[in-house]
Amino acid sequence: MSARENILSRVRDAVRAEAPRPPSPSEAPVWPPMGDAETRFREEFVALRGEIVESLPEFLAGFGKIATDDSDLVAAACGRVGMTVPVREAELGVTSCVCLVAQTGSVVVACRRSEERALSVLPPVHLVVARRSQIVLDLEAALGVVRRQYGGGLPSLVSVISGPSRTADIEKVLVLGAHGPRRLAVHFVNE
Amino acid sequence: MNANAQRFRRACEAKAFDRNHRAIVAKNTATYHAAVARGLARFADWETARRRAAAVKWEVMNHLDHYLEEFERNVRATGGHVHWAETAEEATQIVLSLARQHGVRKAVKSKSMVTEEIHLNPALEAAGITVLETDLGEYICQLRGEPPYHIVTPVMHLNRQQIAETFHEKFGTPLDATAEELAGIARERLRAEFLAADMGITGANFAVADPGMIVLCTNEGNARLTTALPRLHVAVVGIEKLLPRLEDLALFWPLLATRGTGQFLTVYNTLVGGSEPLHVILLDNGRTQLLADVEQRDALHCIRCGACLNACPVYKTVGGHSYGTTYQGPIGSMITPHLRGWPDWSHLPYASSLCGHCADVCPVRIPIHHHLLHNRRNAVRQRLDPPLQRWMFRVWLWGVQSARRYAIGGRLARWAMRLGLAQPLARAWTRYRDLPDPPREAFRDWWRKHERA
Amino acid sequence: MKVALFIPCFVDQFYPEVGEAMVAVLRRVGVEVCFPAEQTCCGQPAFNTGYWEEARTLAKRYCDIFDRYDAVVSASGSCTAMVRNFYPELLGELRRASANTFEFSEFLVKKLGVTDVGAKFPAKVTYHDSCHTLRELRIKQEPRALLRAVRGLELIEMTEAESCCGFGGTFSVKFPTISSAIDEVKCQSIVATGAQYVVSVDSSCLMQIGGWLRRRKLAVGTKHLAEVLAQT
Repeated sequence: MSARENILSRVRDAVRAEAPRPPSPSEAPVWPPMGDAETRFREEFVALRGEIVESLPEFLAGFGKIATDDSDLVAAACGRVGMTVPVREAELGVTSCVCLVAQTGSVVVACRRSEERALSVLPPVHLVVARRSQIVLDLEAALGVVRRQYGGGLPSLVSVISGPSRTADIEKVLVLGAHGPRRLAVHFVNE
Repeated sequence: MNANAQRFRRACEAKAFDRNHRAIVAKNTATYHAAVARGLARFADWETARRRAAAVKWEVMNHLDHYLEEFERNVRATGGHVHWAETAEEATQIVLSLARQHGVRKAVKSKSMVTEEIHLNPALEAAGITVLETDLGEYICQLRGEPPYHIVTPVMHLNRQQIAETFHEKFGTPLDATAEELAGIARERLRAEFLAADMGITGANFAVADPGMIVLCTNEGNARLTTALPRLHVAVVGIEKLLPRLEDLALFWPLLATRGTGQFLTVYNTLVGGSEPLHVILLDNGRTQLLADVEQRDALHCIRCGACLNACPVYKTVGGHSYGTTYQGPIGSMITPHLRGWPDWSHLPYASSLCGHCADVCPVRIPIHHHLLHNRRNAVRQRLDPPLQRWMFRVWLWGVQSARRYAIGGRLARWAMRLGLAQPLARAWTRYRDLPDPPREAFRDWWRKHERA
Repeated sequence: MKVALFIPCFVDQFYPEVGEAMVAVLRRVGVEVCFPAEQTCCGQPAFNTGYWEEARTLAKRYCDIFDRYDAVVSASGSCTAMVRNFYPELLGELRRASANTFEFSEFLVKKLGVTDVGAKFPAKVTYHDSCHTLRELRIKQEPRALLRAVRGLELIEMTEAESCCGFGGTFSVKFPTISSAIDEVKCQSIVATGAQYVVSVDSSCLMQIGGWLRRRKLAVGTKHLAEVLAQT
């Protein structure tokens, strides 16, 4: 018998007897009602030290080595920069996103290709180019978008990013840029 | 008393009145509690959130075979690999075998309690593979040669100065380096390691059956880099980590972050799915034992948030290292006898005042303190209690089954106390505390005298 | 109204004045009391140490004695929790005595609807939430409401009112060093309030707290809630 068979067999034996069912939770809403999605996103995102970039050319001008994903949105917004700079040398990584979450001030990125996995986490600055219409209300809605966008075949990496990388391991003092980017920025394209 | 129990007692003796240790822990837990209070305020109904989470976990644990099979199917369907390991040894062998197959010389690791549980690092090192911890707290532990002190915040017991001293010793960096500077030093050193590593090793905070993906939650981004850069990713996942669906994360992510650190979400909540370089190792290592215990099965609902540790007066007094085992604090005391054997670990459920604060803070409503009581009963049933103690309770029972014997016994006890004769019990008490003055008469004596009149 | 008194072994033998005070207060608010002298111990020491067979014997005995009463009032939150919350699991059934046992402050406030018992006690006082009372019985406001109605009494909340005192039954002597260290932290919180007395509904907690305070000759006394309410 393989380990798999042994383990599954023990599991099946065990769950033949059901543990007492916990009391049914009420239907009460877990979260308080939210106001306007974009307003809420901006508040949460900025509170997490995210930066809203109003003028994209000005922002990009501050970086020499830029690496981007191959999305149409980023290409249109930044001009075709592409992955000409290796990710590990880039000062700025630019990606599109699946959606943005108002409730938590998060950006949801996804990638299929292993080359793109590091784009949103290796360079010291990460810029997300997005449409306002990509803002959804809460995590439940965001995961729904992920499902619908990819149907049966989710990309191998989906990451909900809430602010720049941080640690508080040393005396609970907050330090940004632990391993991931020190700065996280979002630019909404004009539509 | 077995060796573990003796070690535990000695460690507790050493730490209990170490007031420096206590002050650091108190400061860190106070910061934690303030953050959690803010985090809880974001919920309209925290109780309902907990109940929902408990219900989801109940569903998983009571149909675990179904969810494990679904998970495996879905991971494989997208090109990932699933291995099964009954024991720590088996899991370690699978990792080593994968490492050999892929010519791995260097590995980076994202914080994972389950890899501590199976003692993976020493096994890799013995096979000539360097392993580097990438979570800042774990990295510091590795530099110091210490196990993690806490399941969520591994160096909660250290202050900045101690960490700076460690860095100074290893790297020659300044002794007065700030927290910012120390984190920066770690970032630079570990960045090079991420880029050079052949294999990334993680655990998983959750494993979602539909679709088949593992979930990694960090603030630092080290799990992202551990999975993105090396050509091989191995994830060791306890079989209890399953959640049914992607959508369940909308509840579990905030629940974990709120009780874990007081944040709404950790910075990186990442789903990693089946694809060529992903190898998931599903680990039993005693979990099916706990699963078979219908009364205590819900202990497997634990999402490893660490809240019970931060709430526990015993943990905050003796610290994480005293337990001498991977899983510490209330949940650790409760599950360890099940996972590692009763004869060696039944002392842990007794090291609790049963205050119940753990159960109050648990985001999935595990009645931890009640299970500690169940475990004490189990220890007695297995005759692991000291014979003297068993005998004393028999005698005591005989005494309290009769009002007359009880009254005489009480009178004798008070008389003995007045004469200072109540020794063996008294020494344990009187080392630090005074005993009360024993009264001349019991309440029942007073009642008899004054009420009959 | 007539109630039976459940005077836990602890209180009966070592803190009889608490029982006497409880009788005085109950009578003052018009409750008739009786004391079934057959009672001994609720079985909690055995239960907490893992001796459930022994505890079961005592649980049956308690119920046989107290089943016939409409209300049983106890001078200990911890023992009340044992009888109400743990007897059903221990006995596999819900006995009348188990359902009808109440902690003293809970009985006054929730059953009688009384918060002012005509007490007078001019002193600065702080209140310690004993863990069983707080977390098993969910009693937090009732003792405070009663204390606030005491003439001349100033109630000061300590930080960490809900923190354990470290007693935990046999834990206090099985792991005395840990127990005492937890006690120290509790007492620091108490002393910081500047209160003259610390009050609780559990004499076991008061023994633990009082034991540390006395050893260090700190000028804070201990009083059971009943003793404060009995003052006029």
